Amino acid sequence: MSTMQKTYGILAEFANPADLMDAAAEVRDAGFKHFDTYSPFPIHGMDDAMGLKPSKLGWIVLGHGIFGLLGGVALQSWAMSIAYPMHISGKPFLNFPAFVPVAFALVILLAAFGTFMGLFFLSRLPRLHQPIFNSDRIAKATDDGFFLCIEAADPAFSEKKTTDFLKSIGATEIEIIPE
Amino acid sequence: MGKEQQQTYWRSLNELAQNEEYRKFAEREFPENATELSDGVSRRNFLQIMGASVALAGLASCRKPVQKILPYTRQPEHLVPGIPLYYASAAPFRGSLNGIVVETNEGRPTKIEGNDLHPGSNGRTNIRQQAAILELYDQDRSRKVRRNGESSSWSDFVEFCNDHFADTGRRIAFISEASSSPTLDRLRRKALEKFPNTRWVTFETYNDESVYSGTGMVFGRRLRPVYHFDKARVTLSLNDDFMQDSDNDVAYIGAFAQSRALPDADTRPSRLYVAESNYSLTGSNADHRLRIKTSEIPLFTFALAARLSESVSGLESYAGYRNDFSDHSWISVLAKELLNNRGQSIVTAGAGHDAAVHATVHAINLALGNAGETVSYLDVPYIAENNQEHAFRELAGDMKAGTVDTVVMIGTNPVYSAPADLDFEDALNNVSEKIHLSLHFDETSRASGWHVNRAHFLETWGDGHSWTGVRSVIQPMIQPLFGGKSETEFLKAIVDGEDVSGYELVRDTWGGLLTGGFESGWNEVLHDGLQKDTRYTEATVAQAPAFQSLSAEFLVVRRDQPSDAVELVVKADPKLHDGRFANNGWLQELPDPMTKITWDNVALLSPNTAERFGIPPTRTFGDPNQQVIRITTPGGTETEIPAWVLPGHADNSITVYTGYGRQGVGRVADQVGVNTYNLRTTENRLFTTGVEVSRAGRTYVIASTQDHHSLEGRPHVQDADLDYYRENPTFAQDAVYVPGIYDDREHPVSLFPDKVFPEHEPQWGMAIDLNACIGCGVCTIACQAENNIPVIGKREVRRGREMHWIRTDRYFAGDDRGNPKVMHQPVPCMHCDNAPCEQVCPVAATTHSDDGLNQMTYNRCIGTRYCANNCPYKVRRFNFFNYSKEYLTTGDDPEIIQMAMNPDVTVRFRGVMEKCTYCVQRISRAKIDTKNKTGDSVKPPDGMVKTACQQACPANAITFGDLTDEKSVVSIQKGKDRNYVMLEELNVRPRTSYLAKIRNPNREITEQSQATVSSS
Amino acid sequence: MSQNTATVPDERLVKGNHDFASITKLISDIPQEKTPLWWYIAFGIANILLAVMLAMVVWLIWNGIGVWGLNQPVGWAWDITNFVWWVGIGHAGTLISAILFLFRQGWRTAINRFAEAMTIFAVMCAGLFPAIHVGRIWTIYWIFPLPNSMQLWPNFNSPLLWDVFAVFTYLIVSTLFWYVGLVPDLATMRDRVKGKISKMVYGAFALGWTGGNRQWQHYEKAYMILAGLATPLVLSVHTIVSFDFAVSIIPGWHTTIFPPYFVAGAIFSGFAMVLTLMIISRKLYGLEDIMTVDHIEKMNIIILVTGMMVGFAYGMEFFIAWYGGFEYEKFIFINRALGPYAWAYWTMITCNVIAPQFFWVKKFRRNVTLTFILSIVINIGMWFERFVIVVSSLATDYLPSSWGYFSPTYVDVLTYVGTFGLFLTFFLLFLRFLPMVAIAEIKAVLPQANPAYYRSGNGNSSKSD
Repeated sequence: MSTMQKTYGILAEFANPADLMDAAAEVRDAGFKHFDTYSPFPIHGMDDAMGLKPSKLGWIVLGHGIFGLLGGVALQSWAMSIAYPMHISGKPFLNFPAFVPVAFALVILLAAFGTFMGLFFLSRLPRLHQPIFNSDRIAKATDDGFFLCIEAADPAFSEKKTTDFLKSIGATEIEIIPE
Repeated sequence: MGKEQQQTYWRSLNELAQNEEYRKFAEREFPENATELSDGVSRRNFLQIMGASVALAGLASCRKPVQKILPYTRQPEHLVPGIPLYYASAAPFRGSLNGIVVETNEGRPTKIEGNDLHPGSNGRTNIRQQAAILELYDQDRSRKVRRNGESSSWSDFVEFCNDHFADTGRRIAFISEASSSPTLDRLRRKALEKFPNTRWVTFETYNDESVYSGTGMVFGRRLRPVYHFDKARVTLSLNDDFMQDSDNDVAYIGAFAQSRALPDADTRPSRLYVAESNYSLTGSNADHRLRIKTSEIPLFTFALAARLSESVSGLESYAGYRNDFSDHSWISVLAKELLNNRGQSIVTAGAGHDAAVHATVHAINLALGNAGETVSYLDVPYIAENNQEHAFRELAGDMKAGTVDTVVMIGTNPVYSAPADLDFEDALNNVSEKIHLSLHFDETSRASGWHVNRAHFLETWGDGHSWTGVRSVIQPMIQPLFGGKSETEFLKAIVDGEDVSGYELVRDTWGGLLTGGFESGWNEVLHDGLQKDTRYTEATVAQAPAFQSLSAEFLVVRRDQPSDAVELVVKADPKLHDGRFANNGWLQELPDPMTKITWDNVALLSPNTAERFGIPPTRTFGDPNQQVIRITTPGGTETEIPAWVLPGHADNSITVYTGYGRQGVGRVADQVGVNTYNLRTTENRLFTTGVEVSRAGRTYVIASTQDHHSLEGRPHVQDADLDYYRENPTFAQDAVYVPGIYDDREHPVSLFPDKVFPEHEPQWGMAIDLNACIGCGVCTIACQAENNIPVIGKREVRRGREMHWIRTDRYFAGDDRGNPKVMHQPVPCMHCDNAPCEQVCPVAATTHSDDGLNQMTYNRCIGTRYCANNCPYKVRRFNFFNYSKEYLTTGDDPEIIQMAMNPDVTVRFRGVMEKCTYCVQRISRAKIDTKNKTGDSVKPPDGMVKTACQQACPANAITFGDLTDEKSVVSIQKGKDRNYVMLEELNVRPRTSYLAKIRNPNREITEQSQATVSSS
Repeated sequence: MSQNTATVPDERLVKGNHDFASITKLISDIPQEKTPLWWYIAFGIANILLAVMLAMVVWLIWNGIGVWGLNQPVGWAWDITNFVWWVGIGHAGTLISAILFLFRQGWRTAINRFAEAMTIFAVMCAGLFPAIHVGRIWTIYWIFPLPNSMQLWPNFNSPLLWDVFAVFTYLIVSTLFWYVGLVPDLATMRDRVKGKISKMVYGAFALGWTGGNRQWQHYEKAYMILAGLATPLVLSVHTIVSFDFAVSIIPGWHTTIFPPYFVAGAIFSGFAMVLTLMIISRKLYGLEDIMTVDHIEKMNIIILVTGMMVGFAYGMEFFIAWYGGFEYEKFIFINRALGPYAWAYWTMITCNVIAPQFFWVKKFRRNVTLTFILSIVINIGMWFERFVIVVSSLATDYLPSSWGYFSPTYVDVLTYVGTFGLFLTFFLLFLRFLPMVAIAEIKAVLPQANPAYYRSGNGNSSKSD
């Protein structure tokens, strides 16, 4: 481990989802904040194990949806009754029953956009490079590897102690990831 | 140095040239003319300059007046660009003409209307007159004088006449179309006296010669019968299709409709009996129709006369005469009816029947005291003393014999349409010099040495008399497009070898016809379109002593019995007549009133007869292929023609129309249909008995605009017998159940509040009286002319893409094998208040106007066709291809057909929907004029707006106007108890409503079983 | 949190003895292997068909709508029939990925990926027809509410406009849903492919996905929300498509049961199409372990159910036509069964109502060959259903005078056939370059994926060979 190079964090591999989840709980209880677990698929219960707060995504989507609804109704009412009112089949200019489908479609459309963008906003994507990629083993995370990484940014981080700690909670492999 | 250089900088060549004006111009803030353009005087100068330049541009083709007229370097009087002018004139057809008013836009005649002042028209028209516009702009009309087919010139022809006719001893024969022109007659007399060895024969394929011979037998003079259907209580038509096949059809239809009018339930309409083989238009409007073979009509007539002879004097020679019809149930019924209505009845027979029939018919009219009451007999100076058909036959013989040197043919086309047995073409080849005047370079022209291209009646001066003798002048609306000559100019050149303009010729004639100041009288005639108080003298008739013996004679001769031998009837086509209109796309594409066939002629036969020949008695839905049959006459002539099953046609009888199968005449006419003239001989002008019929073993595609002919018991067309109507006056309105109708008829339950239209706007509506409508289809052509509707051709019509904005639906009801009744229903756009088409258009291309019109915005239309799908009346028409472009830009010089377009109506392009607009261009013009007059109101007075269909209708079936005006005719019509709305239960609230048809049957017959009626 | 992994423990969704690594290999190797010959052949054929379609479209636009067999009164025929048919097929994809997801149907994971792909391509084919069926395609953009110099806006009363919004939204949402699902698998590809360029391309589309739980957390939320949005959307799309007819006043179109009836029909035909494609591709790529006979059986059950719904709708239509007492409606339906288009009607009944009845029998449900044949039969039947609705209603509506028979031209036929070229071209490209099964989701439904699995003493190492 060269001291020249700044460390991003310590990556520990675990045997299977169960071990990883236990480890995560240990790390959480040890008071670490800046850490993450990596797995080829979402592991049931991992959020609690890591002590993550519920995702905010729902609120973003709701906001977009409401905007879609108001926008849809406003657009149709304005176009049909103010911008260019026309007699159509003897119906009133504000023919709300007819506005439902378009308004509905716009709600869905906007909400979907909200979801899509919100997802990548919250998960800090897209990124061309993530420091974690400096590890040569992390590629297994998208195959069959289960990892936990404690970042140097964490106040409780100390290269030696943390390494031992991780070993102690059952890491099969340890790797120090350079910045 | 540098300064100088700067000074020498220049901004334009003028400046560089330092010319005087330019410096002034550069100094001025505004260029000189800019300010002056605002004051009228110099604007006219400006126009002159512009005009001149345009004129130069146009010189290349200065034959087209549109380009001569366009630059108003000197503004013609009364002419405001954009405002049409209307001129009175007259439209000749066969031996008579009818008053018309021609609309011209910037010097282009674009639309023909009837002349209100003219008793033969009363402001109404027929299909031929409406279609005359297209005939005028027919690109295929002959454009030059030809000598043996080689192009020559009018001056050469005049020169030729000078030396050829210098020898007055020549044996000359003039073959002329029927004419009532005083000018032509003047020249005719001159010719006859100038050339001693000459004869003048009138040749019309379909003529009234045997009618005149008939009247000749009865009255001793060849008189023209004129019927007053408005005065008749009972009319019996013996195979006489007077609504379609008469020179006086417009007046006849009007009078007939008048006699059927039902202002209220108490009025008693007249009654029409028709005995015929083919299901004719007149037959379809009959209260009672008897299906009998045409060959049996004479027997039927004689039997009737015989029965009448028992009760009236004058028919003695028929007394005791008997034949198979003597005991026919109709004879006694008719006899009774006619006797009860003496002096108030009409008996008429088809012109094709021979003199004996007509003699009998008019003897009956005389005996019943109808003569002078419902039938007047006119002494027509233009009727020759002898039967022209016989004269023509003799002439043909002499020509064959080579005893004729020169033949001059005026307008007719005998090579195509003369009776087959005369082989007129051979006869013509035996004549050394043949001269022919005609609109098209047709069959006869090709067989002639000289062909002179004729001017259309809208291009030239002429004159003539209406059917009843009202004298009119034909005035030109435009210079001859192809430099044609009128028949008078043509004849003048032959007789005197001079080139005199028709204008002078006509004026010369009228010098002798006008009393009082010539110019004032002349102008009055031109203005009114007729000379006041002119009429053929009505003859006071009495039976000629010779009649008794004559009739006894033909009664002896005619004694062949009706058999189940198959007869073939050859008739003039309802649209193309004898073929002279074959190159007219509007007429070709107009669906036949009865069969709805376009672009073809067929062999009509009854379902039973069809079965007899192994042809399916009903057509399979959606299959345009028709069996072709081979008809062989006893004479051995063979013709193959597609068969068409027409319910109600007499059994063992086949009807074919002539006028088709033209060759080398024009793009439209050529190769359309089958030439049937070879089936028509002098002996069998009307019918041939004992023809052989076999299946040709092939099929032929027919384009019919209506694929299904039964109403399926649906209440779209409401009709009832008079008695039923009197018991249930509102039967038509009660025919369908409308939700909420019993609470409030006007406002059936609806999710939305009623649309309220602005107070100041008129609310347009239309009422179509099915009781008046006879189904002739003139509305369709009038609409086509007014609204620039393209002709799309057979292939597209066959694919069900016809573009007509108003169609006439024709339904059969009752016993298809027997004598079904027929219903005609004109269907334009209904202009629904709750128009279903408007809601479904994704781009709001069809919307509603403040005056209640369902508008179509062509420029906004993207062509989803959703509106058409959602229209319950299926009145919307889609431009599947670029029809207008094909119609208006094909051919050598499309500018000509383009001149027929109405400048007030958009020409629609590919991919857009179109439909009836209630003639919005006429509405707008009226609203603008009204506003200009009154200053505020945009409600035109009633009658100021006439839709094209309404204006043309000879039966006055269509009324149109403002519904907010309770006194408007349309409001009154809609107020009548017969008024009903088609598909009212859909709550689309159409502005167009119908008035139920009321039939006036004779109880005696209705009580008899159908079997008796349809037996024979 | 993670709903999609809640599976019934004893259920073996993946047959054979697979672990995470073997799953990854099985699926992610397909795009890396050398392209098989059959793919080139298939792709060639697809391209020819696509060329035919393009030629027909050009011909149509050049000459006008008249090159089709349309007439008065039949203003819509094959164009709208094909549109409804393709949209319907699309529905299965969304249904599998969204609705089955919400219903916790773990087995969906094997097929949702390419079912979704199918959806997108089918909707593309569908969208083509409304676009080219207009008379003036160069003005088609007028249906969108774009500010313009004419100051005009589309007519929001028109079902056709609702259609535009619905289908447009449907296409976009399906695509987003599909892409979100792809991201983790694209990461897998990124981490496995050898080639530098392909690594970069996959990497770019993977957006830097690490598989960190802080991403999975939002990812699962997003996936659930999208599923929640797509579910009402997929139901609404065919509902709105059915409004094109239901809102009109033409007998045979103006029918209130159309929305549910159309949706059922859509799922019906969609599942059939998924089966057709799945049965071929599982064979070609040897994925029998993942797309098992159990899957086929489950889908056949859905086909049987929706087939019965459609059959019920057919019957109900007739009942209402009679019970409603509206003579025109009555006539239309009698005319459908006995009139000029009876041949189409009975084809429809045979294919849609009678054919699925086989699936009452378990043996047939699990018979791959029979399923394959029936899946094709059903799609033929569903095409005829739309044809019968669109054409036979227009051909004989209110005024007998205006009745007219429609017969197609070669352009009608070839344009339709050509759209298969469009569909297959895209689908083959998808099979070639993207993981055709959701790798991450499959792993998640392996028993090993559930921590509880290890608690109960199964293999302590992740290498459970």
